[in-house]
Amino acid sequence: MTEKIESIREVVGQLLKDGKVDLVIGYQKGATPLTCSPCFITDPSDVDKLIWDQRCGINLAKYLKDKEGKVGIIAKGCDSRSTVLLISENQVDKENVTVIGVPCEGVINKKKIEKTLNGKEIIEAEIKEDKIIVKGHGFEKTLPLEEYLSESCNLCRHPNPIIHDVLIGEPVTERQVDYDPNFDELDSMTPEERYMFFVNELEDCIRCYSCRNVCPSCYCKECFVDATMPQWFGKTTDLSDTMIYHIVRSLHMAGRCVDCGACTRACPMGINLRYLLSVAEKVIKDRFDYEAGIDAEQEPVMGIYDKEDSDEFIK
Amino acid sequence: MNSSSKPIKTIALNKEHTAEFLNKLIKNYRVIAPVDNGKTIRFQEIADSDEIELNYSNTKLASKEILFPQTEVLFTVKKKDGKTVIEKPKPIEKDWVVFGVRPCDAKGLENSFKVFASGAHKDRAYLEKREKSIVIGYACESPLSTCFCTSVGGSPSGREGMDILFTDIGDKYLVEIITQRGESLMEQASGAKQPSKEDLAAAQNIWDTAEKSIKEILNLEGLEEKLDTMFDDPIWDEISQKCIGCGTCAYLCPTCLCFDIQDEETPEGIKRIRTWDTCQFPIFTLHTSGHNPRPSSKERVRQRIMHKFCYFPQEYGHTSCVGCGRCIRECPVGYDIREVLVKLEET
Repeated sequence: MTEKIESIREVVGQLLKDGKVDLVIGYQKGATPLTCSPCFITDPSDVDKLIWDQRCGINLAKYLKDKEGKVGIIAKGCDSRSTVLLISENQVDKENVTVIGVPCEGVINKKKIEKTLNGKEIIEAEIKEDKIIVKGHGFEKTLPLEEYLSESCNLCRHPNPIIHDVLIGEPVTERQVDYDPNFDELDSMTPEERYMFFVNELEDCIRCYSCRNVCPSCYCKECFVDATMPQWFGKTTDLSDTMIYHIVRSLHMAGRCVDCGACTRACPMGINLRYLLSVAEKVIKDRFDYEAGIDAEQEPVMGIYDKEDSDEFIK
Repeated sequence: MNSSSKPIKTIALNKEHTAEFLNKLIKNYRVIAPVDNGKTIRFQEIADSDEIELNYSNTKLASKEILFPQTEVLFTVKKKDGKTVIEKPKPIEKDWVVFGVRPCDAKGLENSFKVFASGAHKDRAYLEKREKSIVIGYACESPLSTCFCTSVGGSPSGREGMDILFTDIGDKYLVEIITQRGESLMEQASGAKQPSKEDLAAAQNIWDTAEKSIKEILNLEGLEEKLDTMFDDPIWDEISQKCIGCGTCAYLCPTCLCFDIQDEETPEGIKRIRTWDTCQFPIFTLHTSGHNPRPSSKERVRQRIMHKFCYFPQEYGHTSCVGCGRCIRECPVGYDIREVLVKLEET
C-alpha cells in the first residue's frame, strides 16, 4: 500500500501545476502513531506532506462540501462512495471534483491494538507489509495487520473507488461479502437481550457528536439534536436521551451509510457505532436492492417512492 | 482548594494498609476512584478498594466529571398542596474522597474552582461538591508522549488542587499530606510509618524520571500578550481548517467548563438541568434572531484557544490548559494543540 504514495504525490503535484485543481484533500500523519490527519494542499511543493497507508481512516469526503473552486480528493472505496452520495444528494457539484482514486486494502482500528496492549502507550509504530510493529516503554510487538483492520474493512464490498478521474495502482480483489454477520447475532436476540446489548454499547456515550461530525452523510444545516423549536428530546446523558440520538441518527442514515467505519474509529469512548447502521443498510439492501454511494445518477432510495417498493413492514 | 505545595507531613503506607484504609473510608465517605468498566477507565463510586484500577496513564474522562457531572439536576419545580415549590437536591451528607487523581487533573480542579468560586456569583452546585471533597492525588510515573504539563506550569508530581499526594514506590506509597483536611483523613490510616531515606529517594527518583521523560517542552512566553493582538489574524483560517466541530476535546478536557441549562418536564416536576456544552458547537452562540457571531469553525477554534491561553491568563494569571493531552490523543481528525501553539508563537 505504501509504494503508492510516490504516484499519489506525483499526480497531486501535476494536477495543481496544471491548474486542474485549486486544492487537494489528502492525508498527512496524525498527532499520534497509527493515526492520520487531513491535509489540504494548494502548493505543489507541499506534496511530500502526503501519506498513504493503512492509517488513512478518515473519510475525506467530509471536507468536500462547501469547498470553493476545483477540488481534488484522495479517495479509497468508501471516500469515493461518500463523494457519489454527496453528488446524488446535490451537495457537491461533480464538475468541481477530481477524484484521485486509490484502491484500498483496509485501514487500521487503533483502538483494537490499544486493547491488546493493556493500557500501554504506542510510542512508535511501523506498518510493514502484513505486519504492524508497535513499540513503547519496555515492549515491542509485531502484530498481524489483518487482525487489526476496522470491522467495516473486513466486511467491505467496495475497496476500489467507485468513481475516479485518476486511479493510482491496480484495483484490488473485491471480497465476496454478503452482509454483516453481526446482523444474525442481533436478529437472534430476544428484544430484551437486544435492548441490553445496546444499553451496554451506548451507556458510555458522552454526546460529543464526533460520530456525527466525522460522517460525510451528516451534513444537515440543523441537526435534529440541535433543534430547539421544537426540541425533539433532551440534551442529557440519561440513557433514553442517548439512545434516541443514536437510533434517530441511524434512521436518518438508512440508505445513506457507506460503512466507512469512520464513526466507530472516531468515538473517544470506544462505542461500536456500526451495529445500528449496518442493520439499516441490510434492510435497505434486502428491501430495495440499493446500496448507498454506488451510482450518482440513481435517485437516493429514501428520496423516491415506487409502487413496487417492498411493503412488508406494513402488516 | 489549598494550593500550597509543601507537604505538612510525609508518611509511608504499605499497599495492604492502603487497601484497608480505603475500605475503612468507604464506611463513612463516598469514595470515588478510577474503575475499569471493561470499556474505559473512569472515575466512579466504589464499594470496595479492590474495584480500583491504578494501572492507567490517565482516565479517559478527566476527574472534572465528578464535581461537574455531564448531566446535573439543579432544582425541581413541583406542585405541593396547591402551591408551587422549588425543591433543591438533597444536601450532601457524607464527605467525598476522590482517590487517584493525576496531578494534571487536580490542577484542573483548582482552575475550575477559581472559575466557579470567583466573581459576584458563586456556583453553589459546584462549590458544595468541591467543599465536601477531599482529593487524593496519584503521582504520574510515566507521562504519555502527548503530555505537556510542564509547559503549562504543571508537573507529573504537582500537588496543586490536592489534599494528599500518593506516590507508588513499589510495595508501598509515599504519602504527602498537603492540607489540614488531608491530615485528619490520613489519621484514620493504620500502619503509617515514618518514611525511610530510601522511601524518600525512591519517590524523588520517580518524580524526576517522570519529569525528564516529558520531551515536549513548549515555549509559551508572551503568548497571552501576542494572542491579544491576533484576533483578526488570517492564521485562524489555517488552524481551523481540519476541525470538524465535535465536542471531543472539550468534553475530555479537565478545564472546559461551559454548560447549557435545560428545563425538562418530568413526572416528578419540572427539572432544571445543567448539561455540558462546548464553544465548538455552532449552536453554542446561535442567537434567537438567527444571527451567529461565531458562524464558522474559524471563530469557534479561535475561541477555544483564546479562552485557554489569553482570556483565562488575563483573568487568573495562568493558562487554563493543564497539558493532559487528552484532546491530542482523542481528536478524531488529529488536531494537535501543541502544534497549533508553536504555530501561533512563530507567527
